[in-house]
Amino acid sequence: MSNLTSTSAVGPHGPTASPASRMATRGPRLGGLVWLIWRQHRAGFWTVLAATAFSVAFIAYQRTGLMDDLAAHGWPDAAPDKWMEGALPYASRFQMVGYGLGFIPILLGVFLGAPLLAGDLESGTAKLVSSQSVSSSRWLAAKLGISALVVIVCTAALSVTFGWWWEPVRKQSQILAWSEGSAFDNTGPVPVALALFTVVGGVAIGMLLRRTLISMVVTFGFAVVVQVVWHYQRQNLGQVTTITTSKGIGDTSFPSLPEAAFEIDRSFVSGSGQTYGWGTCVRETSEKVCIQKYDIVGWSVDYLPISQMSIMQWLGASILFALTAAVVVFVFIRARKRIV
Amino acid sequence: MGVGGPAEASAIEAYGVGVKYRRGWALQDCSFRLPAGRICGLVGPNGAGKTTLMGIAANLLQPTNGTLKVFGEAPESSEARRRTAFLAQEKPLFRRFTVAETLRMGRELNPAWDQRAAENIVRAGNVPMEAKIGTLSGGQRTRVAFALAFGKRPDLLMLDEPMSDLDPLVRHELMSTLMAEAAEHGTTVLMSSHMLSELESVCDFLLVISSGGLRMAGDVGELRSAHLLLHGFESGEGNSQWQGHAHGVPAELAGHTVVECRTSGREVTALIRPEGPVTGRWQAHTPNLEELLLSYLRCPDAPPLITSEAHVPGRAYGSDGSRTVAA
Repeated sequence: MSNLTSTSAVGPHGPTASPASRMATRGPRLGGLVWLIWRQHRAGFWTVLAATAFSVAFIAYQRTGLMDDLAAHGWPDAAPDKWMEGALPYASRFQMVGYGLGFIPILLGVFLGAPLLAGDLESGTAKLVSSQSVSSSRWLAAKLGISALVVIVCTAALSVTFGWWWEPVRKQSQILAWSEGSAFDNTGPVPVALALFTVVGGVAIGMLLRRTLISMVVTFGFAVVVQVVWHYQRQNLGQVTTITTSKGIGDTSFPSLPEAAFEIDRSFVSGSGQTYGWGTCVRETSEKVCIQKYDIVGWSVDYLPISQMSIMQWLGASILFALTAAVVVFVFIRARKRIV
Repeated sequence: MGVGGPAEASAIEAYGVGVKYRRGWALQDCSFRLPAGRICGLVGPNGAGKTTLMGIAANLLQPTNGTLKVFGEAPESSEARRRTAFLAQEKPLFRRFTVAETLRMGRELNPAWDQRAAENIVRAGNVPMEAKIGTLSGGQRTRVAFALAFGKRPDLLMLDEPMSDLDPLVRHELMSTLMAEAAEHGTTVLMSSHMLSELESVCDFLLVISSGGLRMAGDVGELRSAHLLLHGFESGEGNSQWQGHAHGVPAELAGHTVVECRTSGREVTALIRPEGPVTGRWQAHTPNLEELLLSYLRCPDAPPLITSEAHVPGRAYGSDGSRTVAA
């Protein structure tokens, strides 16, 4: 073994150096594509990274403030009612920051995704790159890969930081309920999945339309549609728990839901198990008559416990990741047919 | 069928290549071969399919019908991509890159990159290396695009209207660089141009396409010597409106293939492919390239002429095209 290494070290430079230099040219060639794509889009990438760093720093600063105020009010040993006083001023800040972060997928889709290929197709530089020695599939893969990496790193950093800030008060619905978009869409895998899907959708739109400006406009519409659909479908991702009571519908008989549960629907339930809408008795002469008429014995309440949150987030994110993968496959198949 | 298989290697072989766009056929049933090491002019009117043909060879688009091979490989193969360079008509470059960065891109993306050759071309035009592409003039940008194509050290260099935005001096200089490089490295050059006189001085091979079809292909000398340009006077009787090649052709030319026959007054000018000795009182001379091309471009219905050197094996050529022309 040592003999072998010593001969190769002592031996003439020519034969040993040539595979090494071939390796050396192969390395930078792989890096070459990375260099090209970073150089081309560096303004956009740096803007995204800088904005993320700023946001992370801002959220971290907010978290320190929150922790100080909570500690001053006896958190975590005291009862929530006590330390809630320290957290309440942060409610609007949570809402505001969560609302702002919600725009990130749209911004990334419009300003990073849509021009990614449309710019090269519009200016003809896609032709320029295609006439180099690298294949256009590798170019496309590098382009999508680097952009996706930037998107993932940034959105994941924001997701982790926002989740870290929100963590101490995540069970306090008065501050920010977990079922709200500001919490649900900005923590866990959801922001990454939403941003990635919107960006890749923007890339595909840019590839089909081949014009930067119109692609950005259409991607904006697409991103808004994604947000709206997501907003309305979010709840359906969870396993609804139903709780029923049989102690009448008086003020005190409403079932107590677990902490931070998200109530979806409440209705009256009859002796036979039939449910009636909450407003059934409004038109009756008195509640008593109504109770007798429908044989109402108690409440039936549908809710999502907070334990469902991460299950729902991962389920939703997986659907978005699968859609993203499908769009990526479409982009590659289409590029193989015609890229410029 | 042309016999005597290709002696040298082919840079491009096209077998029944056709391309259909949404608005119709851009190229139809093109079969030809470009031998390696030639400087080939690609000529045709606007919209004839020149860019489309180059685009296929440069792997920018796939033909609807047929196949095209670059050095025996499919255009999408890494081997073919490595050996070809394509300079598109609009000379696209990254506008925010500096000249140095543009050349670095060439270095990063091409294994056989020749930095010195590329830099020499840029330096010859006094283009500052640190200038952004977006700030350069059209001619300077063309020069950088040229440098990028040359630096790749291609075996097949395809240039689509390369000289359209250059002044005559720079055009001349870049052409000499092109010819010197091509001669030194045995590069095959395929170049489309509208400047027929310019092609004459550099090209030794020719492809003529019009309305999507191949009209003429072969060695320039062979093509020229296959034709005769005749000048004469109308004998008086007969049709005075002789235009085009098909009708009103003087009787004594009936035995030859008449590409074009024009009259002005009593003077008759005809471009023919002689099938034997020409009879009648004609002043005959071998046409120059420009005269030959103009006749073919004016008369797209003339029977195509593909010399045996430009034949691809296994393809039948039309009754006119199959005639092997002796050089």
